[in-house]
Formats: sequence, structure tokens, C-alpha cells
Amino acid sequence: MKYIGKKLGAMLVTLLLISFLVFLAFNMIPGDPAQARLGTEVTPERLEALREEMGLNKPLIERYLRWLVSFVQGDFGDSYKYNMPVADMISSKLPITIIMALISFVIMVVVSLPLGIYTAKHNGKRIDRVITVINQVMMAVPHFFLGIIITYVLGLVLKLFTPGNYVSYEKDFGAFLSYIIYPCIAIAIPKIAISVKMLKSSCVEEAKKDYVRTAYSKGNNTSKVLYRHVLRNAMIPVVTLWGMTLADMLVGSIVIEQVFNVPGIGRILLTSISYRDYPVVQAIIVLIATVVIVTNFCVDIIYQMIDPRISVQES
Amino acid sequence: MTKRRSRFFNVLFVSMLLTLTIALGGCAGDKEAEDSSQVATTSATEAENSGTSHITIGIPQDLDSLDPNIATAAGTQEILFNVYEGLYKPDVDGNLIPAVASDCAISEDGKVYTFTLRDGVKFHNGNPVTVEDVVYSMNKCADDGTGQPLVSAFSNVESVEATDDKTVVITLIEENKDFLAILSATETCIVPADVEDLETTPVGTGPYKIVSRSLQENVELEKFDEYWGEPANIEEVTIKILADADSILMNLQGGAVDLVERVTSTQASELGDQFNVLEGSMNLVQALYLNNAVEPFNNEKVRQALSYAINKQEILDFVADGKGTPIASSMFPAFGKYYMEELNDVYTNDVDKAKELLAEAGYPDGFTFTIRVPSNYQQHVDTATVLAEQLKQIGVTANIELIEWQTWLDDVYKQKNYEATIVGLDASTLTAGAMLKRFTSTAHNNFTNYNNTDYDKAYESALVAKTDEEATQYYKECEKILCETAANVYIQDLVQFVAINKKYAGYEFYPFYVMDIAKLYAVE
Repeated sequence: MKYIGKKLGAMLVTLLLISFLVFLAFNMIPGDPAQARLGTEVTPERLEALREEMGLNKPLIERYLRWLVSFVQGDFGDSYKYNMPVADMISSKLPITIIMALISFVIMVVVSLPLGIYTAKHNGKRIDRVITVINQVMMAVPHFFLGIIITYVLGLVLKLFTPGNYVSYEKDFGAFLSYIIYPCIAIAIPKIAISVKMLKSSCVEEAKKDYVRTAYSKGNNTSKVLYRHVLRNAMIPVVTLWGMTLADMLVGSIVIEQVFNVPGIGRILLTSISYRDYPVVQAIIVLIATVVIVTNFCVDIIYQMIDPRISVQES
Repeated sequence: MTKRRSRFFNVLFVSMLLTLTIALGGCAGDKEAEDSSQVATTSATEAENSGTSHITIGIPQDLDSLDPNIATAAGTQEILFNVYEGLYKPDVDGNLIPAVASDCAISEDGKVYTFTLRDGVKFHNGNPVTVEDVVYSMNKCADDGTGQPLVSAFSNVESVEATDDKTVVITLIEENKDFLAILSATETCIVPADVEDLETTPVGTGPYKIVSRSLQENVELEKFDEYWGEPANIEEVTIKILADADSILMNLQGGAVDLVERVTSTQASELGDQFNVLEGSMNLVQALYLNNAVEPFNNEKVRQALSYAINKQEILDFVADGKGTPIASSMFPAFGKYYMEELNDVYTNDVDKAKELLAEAGYPDGFTFTIRVPSNYQQHVDTATVLAEQLKQIGVTANIELIEWQTWLDDVYKQKNYEATIVGLDASTLTAGAMLKRFTSTAHNNFTNYNNTDYDKAYESALVAKTDEEATQYYKECEKILCETAANVYIQDLVQFVAINKKYAGYEFYPFYVMDIAKLYAVE
């Protein structure tokens, strides 16, 4: 309990720090949100009036504190560009990014689990070497590049889907899924490569241990040893990896959204940065940071539950 | 030991079950997806058979607002042109034609404009347009809520009155020959007085109405059946936002998008048989804009030297396969009567002459300066690259600094913190003032710090000129001064490539940023 409390405290401080840094960064880079909204032809008087209205003329700390107080109260403010509540903007786009991350995660688990076990079983054989080479390549390819290849090969050549023809999940959930699956594959592939490699090496490492020899001597065959004894222990580091990957996928989908023309959180974030739309950027960054921190926190806890030997020193 | 083991089993079991559930859920979802996508395709074919025509148009950035009074981006006004209309509107040649008004009488002294409302004009919500709506719309332009005029020309408006239920009289403080042109812009359009928030419920009088909008995704338009004028041909239009420039080609080729108004020459050449590529002009003045207040560009001879040093044809060849129109002053050909073709002969590509002028100016060995270019405009970046190469011939080193658009807007345009920049300036209305006013010494948007008393005088004279011919004469003098004093290194009016699927036709080029969707039609 004490451990959780401590972690929670650290989490809050981190979030506070992140939000302040984002605020600070926006003040350092050139660009004026009032000008961004009014364009090039505006008179200086109107510009000044809007700056005043938006509160841009107040000192940095005062603006930050104002933002913080309303943020804590659940008011994310209004978007400078769209003139609408940030909460509305994010809530309509968040499901897209979350669904993408979840589907990618499922693809990763479903593919990498059998593949990892298979390569571990055939360690050192030709098939293992082939898979290892493919794995190395997939690990090295950035997912946005994979995205471009997928759009070209599956979309333009094989015509499995129409690139760019994204359908909103509110309009037609089925069509939405059948489009979204392709970016998800692009996100999942590098992660599959990593987790296959990890699962395999973890299995191979475990197989060298004494208890495995004992298991064999009891008359078990290879499969039985692998599934009943080795896999259980080998899964521990892999589960940790998966936990962290989930957070990573959420962030990764931001990039891949651009390639596949998916209007998720990533699109909103990028355009908001280029429009100097602070309230939106602030809210999204804090949100992403929260997700990443919370996931890592959960992984820590799960890790402890799986293997009580690993406990946090509370000295 | 047993307790620990059982706990481990529990966790493993639960996590596996979870994985399995998600996996099965995912599979079920996919299957469902396949089924419904089949349904989607059949319904699409049904729609085609039943004759509902549809087109998807790709645009590079989201509309900044659906409220015509708030929207400022040229890319937004280009679309809203189809939704909102002013008392007057421009036609394809840039002439002003009556729209919501059927007629306008201008008094002898040019100060009183009497508009007669057109019969039977309806808003998208079905209500007829009344004089109250007109007065309301005009008052909105005069005050944006903070006491500042929304449209700066409205600071010159004395009063807006409805004299009867068909007539509105606008009185100006001083004569303004361009006032009708200002009234034909999207920002001065007629909107209903009883609709509070146009952002969420956009209501205009144009040939298309907005039915839905999804941020950063699309805007759906539908033909307005009760439009007063010539009706639109295509029933449904999807305006799709293609934020990633690299995805434009794939979207077109894959069939997700039927029309993109601005593609590069490389993209145009890769499109293939199913597309027509139309060539027009972007209607802007691309130039190496110089900060006339900093060394060495405060020296006229240096500016002239640069103008002699560049080879415009070479730039055109590199940027757009030789397409585009070289220009020599702040005016582009679409302006017709104001445009001066002959100024192109003032600076011919002459390296010796350029070196001579540099030596006279006190820079016999050249100098070094920085060109700040907004990175989102590939054509300006390309131009900068060629230009810098050409300037090396006269010993001038130009460093290129790529900056983000907002940085350009703030740092270069507003703070004037730059030596040189390459951008294209367009005209918000088809008035000479839209191009020339910014170079008067007192203009708030004079970002080049150009200061020339002759120029100011000529511009003033144009404003008070008695006849249109006389005014045109003075505007031409302004252009000539800009050219001869080499206010900036003028380059070209860029070529515009429109990619349109062969299933559609009817695209027309306007002399400014407008896409007339109503004229598009499906080819049988």
C-alpha cells in the first residue's frame, strides 16, 4: 500500500513537470496563436484585442496556474483554432487511437506467442535461422515505413483496401475496422519481431536451468517440458515487455495515423502544434503521459504478482 | 510454496483468458467488418444506380472555421465560397455579379450604395432572406464584438439602413471604389440574423449546404435544392482533409479522392490514365521578398543587382518543368487591366551588369545573407535552392533557412525579423489595392519595410482619381516604381496543376482562391 502511495505521488509530480515543460516550450518557440487564428490580413488593433481576450498578454506563471486550476477541475479549456471545448475534440478522436492500439496489441500477442515458442523449440535449426533473420529486419524497419509499404502493396497493388478511404467509427464500425486493421499491422510488426526474439531467448535461457533436467528425468518429453515448466517462467519478462509495448503502441499510432490518413489523436496533436493551439496540445500531452505512466505502474504491480520474489525494497 | 504457486497460476490463467477474449473479440470484429464492408459496397453501387452523384475532394488542411466571419485561411474561404454568398459575388472572370442583391445603385459622389434584394433567395434552413438579415450581416462586419471592425474597410461605413422590405442603403464616410469588391468576399456574406452560432449550424444561401463535419477528417456538403441561381450538378460532396502531402498521390490513385486542386508537377506526371491534369495559374506573386530596412538591401543598387543576377526561366524549369509565368512587379496576369507585361523587359539575366551594380554599391566581393523559407511550401523551397545557386555567380552567398509556417507568420511577417524570404502573395479581392497597398510606407502589413515617397504619392492619387482609367494609370505607375527600384526580386506567378478523375469534369479556374464546386459534373 505504501509502495502504491509512493508511486502515485511520483506520478503526479511527473505529470506536473511535463505539463509545465510543454507550457514553457510553447513560450520559447516563435508563433502567436492570435495571429494564427486571424491570418495575415488582420489589423494590429484587432490582433491586440484578441490577444487580450485570449489572455495572452498575462505573465507566463499566471497563465500556467490558471490553466492548471481549471484542468484539475476537469475544464480543459477551449481550442484556440476551433473555438470549441478541448474535451469534446479529444473525446471524439480518442476511441480511434485507443482501438488502433488495442488491435495492434492483440495482433502482436496472437502472432508472437506461437511464433516465439516455435522458434524456441527449433532453436539452431534452419527454420529458426530464417525466422531470426526476418525478425532482425522487421525490428530495424520503422513502422511508418512499413505503413508506406503496406499502403502500396496491399492497397494499390493487391487492392485489398483503398488507401486514405478511412471511414468514421461512428458512421460504420465494420468499415472502420476493416480499414484500421492495416495501420494496426504496420504498428504490430516491429513489436512482434521484438517479442518473438525475447520469448525465444527467454525460453532457451530457462531450458538450461537445473529444474528442466529434473523434468526430463521424470520422463517428460520436450513439448511437455516446454509448455508445463519452461514457458511459465519464460513468460515473466515477456509480459513486462508487452505491458510497456501497449503504451508504446498508443504513441506509435500517432505517427502511423499520418501515413494512413486516420484522423485520430495524433492528427489533432500535430495540427494543434503547428497552429499554436496550446490548450489542445497541453491536454493531449498530459493525457498521453498519464497513459504511459499508468501503464508502467500497472506493469510493475503485475510483475510483482507474477513473481513475488521480485519485491520492491522499501528501505 | 503451494500458495505461491497457485497464485501464480491464477494470474497466468486470468491473463491468458484475457488475451484469448480480446483475440476472439478481435477476430469476430474483423469478420463483422468484412460483412459490413460488403454491405457498404453494395449500398454504394445502389446509390450510383439510383443517380445520386457524389465527389470527394481532397484539401491539404482542415477548415479553420465554418463561420465565414471567423474563417481567415484562404483554403477555407475557397470552400465556403460554395456555401455563403454576399450581396454581390465574383464570376469566373473576376467580374462582380449580383447575388443576394439583384441590383445596386451607387450615388454620384460614390458614397451611397442602394441595394435591392433579389426575390426568392432562401437560406439553407428554408427561411427567406430579409433586409433584417442583410443589416445584421453588415453590422457584424463593422464590429467583431470587441469594437474593432471585422472587415477593416468597414471602418469607413457610416450607416447601414433598411429603407423598406426590399432595399438596404449603405453609406460610406469617404468614397471607396473597391467597396463592391469587398462586399463580394466570403467574409462579408449574408447570414441569418436568428442563427446564433454559425460554427455549429452553418447557414448560408449558396448552392451547397454543410450537412456534417468531423474535425481533421472531412466536411460533407449537400446540394441546396432551393438555390436561387443555377443549381449545382453533383448532389453530395465530401471534402476530405489530406494532412500528409505524401499521401495525396496514393489517395488519388487508390480512388479515395477524385479531385485535388494543387498537386506538384512530379505528382501530376505519376498520376496515370484515370486522371486529367488541368493547368492554370496560382494567381500570386512569388518573389524573393527583401527587408528594405536592413543592410545591404536598403541599397537600391544591391536589390537591382540581385534582379539582374537571377534567371527566371531556369527557376521555372526546375520548379515546374518550365511552367509558370515570369513576372516583374507586384501584380499577376489575372488582374487584366492592371497587369503590365512590358515590365518583364526591365531586368534581363545579365551577370556582368549585376556585378557592376554590386561594385558601385560598395560590395565588389559580394556578401552573405539568409533566406528564410516556410518549409511547408515545396515550390518556394525549390525556388530558394535554384536562386541561391544563381546568386553565387555574382559572389553573393545566400544561406537557406527552412522555418515552420507559424514561425514565418510571427517572426518574418509580424516582427519583420529577416533579411529575405520567398513566399507567394495573393489577392484577397480582385482590387489593385489588395496587391499594392502593403508597399505604402504606413501600411500595417508592409512587411518588406518598403519606403518610397513617389510610390506613396502615386498610390494616394489612385485612390482619389476621378475616373477608373486615371486610377488604373496611377496603379500602373506604382507597379513601375516597385519594379524599377527593385523593391523585391520578383520571380513568377506559379503554375497550378489540378488533378481530377476522368469521371468528373467542369473545373474552372478563378482569378483568385475559389473552387466552384457547383460547376463540377459527372461524366457519363
